[in-house]
Amino acid sequence: MTGPASSDPTPSDPASDPLAAPPTPRDKATTGSAELRAAARDLVDVGILIHEAAAHATTALTDKAVLAAIPRSFVAGCLTQRALLKTVTNRDGLGYAVTGNRLATLAAKAGAMAGAESLAVRVLATSLRLRIAAVALDHPELVTDPMLGRLVQAAAEDRDLEAVRALRALLKDRGAVRTLSALAPVFGEVLALRALLDENPLNDAAAWLIATGRGYATADPITGMSNRAVAVLDKGEGAARRVESGVPLNDHGSLLAFLGNISALGTKGRVLVQSVEGPDGVVRHVLQAPGMRAGTPDNDSPQDLLGAFSSAVLDSSPYSRALTKAVEDYGVPEGDEIALIGHSAGGAAIMNLAQDPGFCARHTVTHAVAVGSPIDFKKPADPRTWVASVTNQHDIIPTLDGQGAGGCFDLHPDWYVVDYFDATHLFPLCHSIEHYMANLAADLPEARRTIDERLGPYRGRVVRSQAYLLFDRVPYAEGLPFQTHGEGTAAPPVRCREGSALTAYFAADAVAAAELLRGSGLGPATGFGGRALVALHVAWNRRTSVGAYRELHLGVVLRSADRGRSGWFTVASVVDGADVCAVAARLWGGVPYELPMEVGLTGRAVNVSAGELLRLRGSLGPWLPHGDRGLVGYARDGDTVLRSRVQARGKGRAHLAPRLRLGVALRAHPLADAFRRLDLDGARPLLCLTSPARQTFTDAAGPVLIT
Amino acid sequence: MSAVPEVITAHAMVLQSDAHALAECAERLRKIEAKLEEAGAAPPWLRQSVRAHLAACAAASADLAEASAWLRRYAAITQPGVRHAPH
Repeated sequence: MTGPASSDPTPSDPASDPLAAPPTPRDKATTGSAELRAAARDLVDVGILIHEAAAHATTALTDKAVLAAIPRSFVAGCLTQRALLKTVTNRDGLGYAVTGNRLATLAAKAGAMAGAESLAVRVLATSLRLRIAAVALDHPELVTDPMLGRLVQAAAEDRDLEAVRALRALLKDRGAVRTLSALAPVFGEVLALRALLDENPLNDAAAWLIATGRGYATADPITGMSNRAVAVLDKGEGAARRVESGVPLNDHGSLLAFLGNISALGTKGRVLVQSVEGPDGVVRHVLQAPGMRAGTPDNDSPQDLLGAFSSAVLDSSPYSRALTKAVEDYGVPEGDEIALIGHSAGGAAIMNLAQDPGFCARHTVTHAVAVGSPIDFKKPADPRTWVASVTNQHDIIPTLDGQGAGGCFDLHPDWYVVDYFDATHLFPLCHSIEHYMANLAADLPEARRTIDERLGPYRGRVVRSQAYLLFDRVPYAEGLPFQTHGEGTAAPPVRCREGSALTAYFAADAVAAAELLRGSGLGPATGFGGRALVALHVAWNRRTSVGAYRELHLGVVLRSADRGRSGWFTVASVVDGADVCAVAARLWGGVPYELPMEVGLTGRAVNVSAGELLRLRGSLGPWLPHGDRGLVGYARDGDTVLRSRVQARGKGRAHLAPRLRLGVALRAHPLADAFRRLDLDGARPLLCLTSPARQTFTDAAGPVLIT
Repeated sequence: MSAVPEVITAHAMVLQSDAHALAECAERLRKIEAKLEEAGAAPPWLRQSVRAHLAACAAASADLAEASAWLRRYAAITQPGVRHAPH
């Protein structure tokens, strides 16, 4: 049964090739394996029942009411106490079974240190041994290999010295990597068995959870160190910054395409959000999250070792919070369908998103596919979310929550679980995304087909891709606070010594404009004839304190903004420079899109484009002199409204009859969506103000009190 | 003080129920072993383990029943109006 998947890919003979067999949930094809797992499960029930009986007896023994009545009938009281004490300490009965309240727990820990065991623990140990026996049917090397067999046997029989000797011999003979890889299928069971039977009371709770399948291992089963205590070291609100993916991405959606993207992104702290036009013409979105980033255990990325740990153990982690920020920034519209795909720690992080009720209220999480991830104790908030888990039994990472190949509980009967093994026993090779992809491509055709069928709505042309670099916390701009750019610093204020600008005013959909203003405390929008006035401001800042950059802002013009100045509520912004993008939040109070821009502005004609999303071109027509008095913009920052001000000096022109036209691409991008919502695709401006040569001063945006 | 006998009686009833449950556990253990033997899947060490568990379950069941009986007697003695034996 351990034959390599690729060596015998015949799908018609599942008995000889487990990889070729249709992988049904927790399918254990080997004869006897199912019976052993069922017996292990029954023993867990028995163990829990015995444990509960012990807890009841302990409760009676320590009940204050029972103790307080002793003076009323001393003899009967003492004899009753003696009988209860015997019940929870009789080596031939319940064993040392003091359990339940805090005092009893302390007593239990003291008993564990003295090597005293309870009947419940002994029954659970038998259950774990049956699980190991079941796994050994699929992985006979666990018993036929003398060194492995010696270790497993010693651990099962609580012979510590022998177990240590066996492990040392194994490490010396095979090295750490091969030893871990070989033990991987029973890693959780062996650790739990040892933890149940050893004298360390701190790891008992974790062992109990692994043995009963009632929750993820709350502590390291070896030392007993609390997993939560380690996980909470991973702090941060999570942040995501748009970056170029810099790698070729698949232009069509499928399981292997998404995993291929994850592979291409690598473990460099980046994730990918894509929009796919499905066969039904509906645009849906796919979040793709790679695994742990190599390097120091705790770096500025949530994709570090601590991040992997906290994503697996906690319901929310900096990684999952950063993913939420990426999705928010990407602009996935509320209610839109989204599929989450993750590998390793990325799988645990996407499952945290799937079990976040807030995220699921904003978006319809239709699919969550985790590959090589410890997700057994994650539970999607939306019961309609279809979950698939693909795990190689020699991969240790999925067993970090305590449940691996030896699991006897069907924790998720509604999930699609592919738990397989192949000839590659070496960790971390068998954990790599490339190895999983190769298995899915060549050895697990049925699993791949099933997942692809389920991902059917996402199997279409990719219409938009955006990569993000994730952080534990909102990062400083690169080089800040000490970076300089020749003329000053990269922090506000920003001075522009030479630039030009255009502001075009359009009549837009009034309802959409009012919707954008709702909740801001600002407004109403300036309106006429049932339409709302919006402004598109474009500037090319050629010499500034943060280098040359182009900017574009779309805003709803407010009726009662600052006296004497035009003011607007910023809907969206675009810049084309990384440095200004980094300080944009402090300048304007929002994070702009970073896109390639073109700003062609002569005295007579305009040719402006932002990425391939927008184009404004045409002639400006005759003009009248007009003073350039700068701008005032308002933007929402959470519950706060920020006000930014651009002071300008230069000679302006007012073009009263411009012959320009705005074109908006049919692309799934929030910027294009905003323009289309305001009914601006194909619109002509009512008025244009231009400044062919000007100087500006932009200070940091500040909060305003809205009354 | 009047609630004390009821509290003790409640403990007695729970433990009596647990004593029955433990006796049933012994039966379940027997069935588990028999099923594995029948399927030819029982590991060689299983019989000895199950036998040990069976004996322990039986002993635990007896301990629980005895503790339950003592609790009942204790509850009866602590009933209001019952004359207590001198200490």
